[in-house]
Amino acid sequence: MVQKKVLLAEDDLDDRMIFEDFLEDRNDFLLISVVENGVEIFEFLNGLNSESELPQLIILDKNMPKINGVEALKLLKSEEKFSKISVVIYSTYIDQNLVNTCKALGAAAILPKPFTKSGYNEMMDEFLRTTKDIF
Amino acid sequence: MDKKESYIKTNAELEKELAELHQQLDEALETIEAIRSGQIDALVVQTEKGNQLYTLKSADHPYRVFIEKMNEGAITVNTDGIILYCNSSFSRMVKSDISSIIGFPIVKFIANESLKTYRRLFEKCWKTDCQGEVMLRTGLRTMPVKLSLTTLELELGISLSIILTDLTNEKRTQKQLEKSNMELAKSNIALEISNHDLQQFASVASHDLQEPLRKIQIFANMLNEQGNENPREFRKYLGKIIYSTGRMRNLIVDILNYSRLSVNDPFYEWVDLNELVAELRGDFDLILADKKAKIISEDLIELYCNKGQLRQVFQNLISNALKFSSADRNPEIHISSRRVNTKSFKAESNPKGKFVIISIKDNGIGFESKYVDSIFSLFERLNPKDKYEGSGLGLAIAKKIIEKHNGLITAIGVNDSGAEFRFILPIEGNF
Repeated sequence: MVQKKVLLAEDDLDDRMIFEDFLEDRNDFLLISVVENGVEIFEFLNGLNSESELPQLIILDKNMPKINGVEALKLLKSEEKFSKISVVIYSTYIDQNLVNTCKALGAAAILPKPFTKSGYNEMMDEFLRTTKDIF
Repeated sequence: MDKKESYIKTNAELEKELAELHQQLDEALETIEAIRSGQIDALVVQTEKGNQLYTLKSADHPYRVFIEKMNEGAITVNTDGIILYCNSSFSRMVKSDISSIIGFPIVKFIANESLKTYRRLFEKCWKTDCQGEVMLRTGLRTMPVKLSLTTLELELGISLSIILTDLTNEKRTQKQLEKSNMELAKSNIALEISNHDLQQFASVASHDLQEPLRKIQIFANMLNEQGNENPREFRKYLGKIIYSTGRMRNLIVDILNYSRLSVNDPFYEWVDLNELVAELRGDFDLILADKKAKIISEDLIELYCNKGQLRQVFQNLISNALKFSSADRNPEIHISSRRVNTKSFKAESNPKGKFVIISIKDNGIGFESKYVDSIFSLFERLNPKDKYEGSGLGLAIAKKIIEKHNGLITAIGVNDSGAEFRFILPIEGNF
């Protein structure tokens, strides 16, 4: 089975720890990096050597300093070389407004942050399901 | 006709009588027409008591009484603008005796600012009836009046009748209406602002308070599932829960502080900023010593303001400067002020200016200047909260207080070398 490459953008230290902790048992994806904000996403992506190193899935926390999740989504979709990557948003609180905005910008999924281990696994299943094999 | 008459009239007699009656009827119709068109001023009417003379004088009398008694001023003016007649209302309006009105030019009673308007009306009225508003001199003061001008054909030639209506009450009502309209618009704006605040609060309640709440839930779940296995994990999760509850409490306190600012707090007093800074230096005593930090303040001025609120501004800005200090150097916070005459950060210094620009400058980590607008927004943060604690409300509170004092706030940031916050306030309050 081919692992999907995932990039996580999350500014909250606890949430980074929880994410890694809950999902360490899974082998259907590979967390290639965790960045702290929208600016660092582009630093990371632009620093890659070839297109084959790009992640297939980017998980964005909605609330991040500097460039937040929604802004980062917009920027990713507007750049030709990144526009095919599946981008999903997760956030503590989700309302219809956010869902509509993110859908319109091309997000593959918008889900609330879970608070149990099974919740994390279900969220990750859903995220990976929306990921296309493009690379 | 006499009923006692017994003889029977001949045909010829009847025809003669009919012709006489026709003539009388024609005369009566002519008289009516003459009276109507004003061609005659007296007429004789045959009655049982003999001939009775009706003159126009008798018809004129009720109108004269009417004009004397009416509230409006009434005057007659000749083509040179000389007053030929005035009623007693006019004499009361201009607070002058009839003897110093009749024979005088009407412009004597028109206020300077209305002379142009009056001249235009005076020119136009000879061709067509017209109306206009002017200020009338009444003693030492003036009175707004409406003029209705109509030309009259008199024996002496053409003249002008002017009716003057006092508009004082109407103007007063109009002014009151405008005032209440303005107040309504003002409270509408206030309502919109508080509505906006409410919406922001709703977003706060739904998002920012849920953040620590979710942490509590998730770590409690982890404690439940894994805590028994490892006492170190147990303490770690419990510590995180306690930290989250503390964060939630701080958030609630800050939200309350922020929402209280929406309520009008009219308590203003003269505050010596030097004393205020000295007090805060005391409050920050421990952290200043701990960080080897210094607050250097120039001689500051006295300001008419809400002391508690302004203290909060200084406290938030100093606390920010200390929080975002650089690890490479000892923190230094410079507080200075200069007076200016206009509410602009670019204004030149003026020792007698009505406004003061206060600057709080640090040598900390600074920020990129493109984020200057977002740093004052509710719950915006440029740095991860696990590195720099805070509710994300400090600068939003400072901004709201400055705006409530009718002032402005801005910031200048240089990445890695420091931030400067400047705010401008009216020295004598926002009145």
